[in-house]
Amino acid sequence: MTSKPADPIKEAEKRALSNKDLFKTFARWYSAVEVSNSYERLQALSFCFALSGSLRKLYKGDDEGYREALKRHIQFYNSEGTFGSMIHGVTLSMEEEKAKGNEITEEVVTGFKTGLMGPIAGIGDTLIWGTLKPIILALACSLALNGVFVGGLIPFLFPMAIVLIGFGMLKSGYLLGKESVMKLMQTGLINNIITSASILGLFMMGALSSTYIKISTPIQFSVMDSDPIVLQDILDQILAGVLPLCAVFSIYFYFKYKGQNYNKLIIMLIVISLVTGFFGILSSS
Amino acid sequence: MNLLVSILCGFLYFIGTSRIGYGLSTATGSPLFYGLILGLVYGKLTEGLIIGATIQLIYIGIINTGGNMPADQSLAGIIAIPIALQTDLSTELAVGLAVPFGVLGVFLDQIRRISNSYWISQAEKHAENLNQRGIFNCAITYPTILLFFITFIPVFIITLVGADTVTFIMDAMPQGIIDGFSVAGGILPALGFAIILLIIGKRELMPYFFIGFFAVAYLGINTMAAAVFGTCVAAIVLFNSINQKKELS
Repeated sequence: MTSKPADPIKEAEKRALSNKDLFKTFARWYSAVEVSNSYERLQALSFCFALSGSLRKLYKGDDEGYREALKRHIQFYNSEGTFGSMIHGVTLSMEEEKAKGNEITEEVVTGFKTGLMGPIAGIGDTLIWGTLKPIILALACSLALNGVFVGGLIPFLFPMAIVLIGFGMLKSGYLLGKESVMKLMQTGLINNIITSASILGLFMMGALSSTYIKISTPIQFSVMDSDPIVLQDILDQILAGVLPLCAVFSIYFYFKYKGQNYNKLIIMLIVISLVTGFFGILSSS
Repeated sequence: MNLLVSILCGFLYFIGTSRIGYGLSTATGSPLFYGLILGLVYGKLTEGLIIGATIQLIYIGIINTGGNMPADQSLAGIIAIPIALQTDLSTELAVGLAVPFGVLGVFLDQIRRISNSYWISQAEKHAENLNQRGIFNCAITYPTILLFFITFIPVFIITLVGADTVTFIMDAMPQGIIDGFSVAGGILPALGFAIILLIIGKRELMPYFFIGFFAVAYLGINTMAAAVFGTCVAAIVLFNSINQKKELS
């Protein structure tokens, strides 16, 4: 992604914020993202806090401009934290222009943020939380189940990956600036990336569903004194893994048509499990 | 239970839910990590790891969209693991103990997010006064202090007095109920996967889910193999779509 527009990176030396400033911004963002998350404005406070240091540097000696900027960035914001760091980078580059006195209205800055946070969250949730996290945890669990103690430490690979990707995103957002990022968006490349990320995510969800949803039925029939007919064997011959598949899609369609009430559904699932387990209709295998 | 162990559990839960460091709580608050630490504390490393991993698998696909938490894997782990290790519960029973606490943890998180609304209104005043320090405190310090009380106290109390109660209840539990809880442990992973499907499952992409599913069901490939093949398939699609764009233009 960074290979094509090489020029802005060369110009980096002329920019107001150094690599260190950018790293500080990222470190603040990284440590604060979800800490102050509220129903009212979600990640707004973390966003404002992350930028506060760099904004002070941009608006040196311009208290009024700094105040306006802080208030601009304490408004509603919510995206995925890792890929979302790119928005911080671009916002800083826009604030830099604004601080220099170039004509950038508040609407442009806010519009850019709110316009991009949705699509970026789509990529981040898919790649980071929907794909990378379950893969790392699945790997860790399979080690731990065999008694390998490293399995308990493997989950730490996940935050490490977030730091590496997130800082890279923030830096490239700042160096590329709004124009290049928008151009990148408009080429449709971003859609292609979302699609292929979703493909990987879906493929993994399929594989993990099949591996880790463990239900089968212990029901058997005996006709006269012939060998008992095991229901699970018949099901397996029709379609392998048909019960786990039913479980996933029952929940999927429940959420889709009845709304996403997690607490209610979890309690329902436990009740169903207790009843079917008690009467020997289902068992975990 | 031992006072020191209960204090440790309270701290582990506080650290695991503090969310300082994006994604760090995924590691520090994972039942797997709790299983490792508590396994070492009790000198039953293998049991700790196995119980931790089994509880972890229930929540493997859970993601918090828009900050909403569907289930709290940390509370499930930090209550069930030490009690199971202390009283030599079987893994199935540990799962049965974990699941209800996974639900309760959601309410603790809701208290946290409601209280956070107060800090953002305070932070606005600090922004007005250009007080960077004040914004920092509202963004990190105050919510974390408050969170300590929300998280430490319940876990400390439950783990301190819980073991005896649990032993009593579990001894009286009929086998049918125990079977039921182990079915719940087998079904609940489906919840996380279904949530992810809701987010990324566009209709025209759904066949990839089935390819992954049946690759495991029929061919028996393991998770790493699935990750390798899945990445290749995704890369092929990405490169094809980029080439098509080039040909069109």
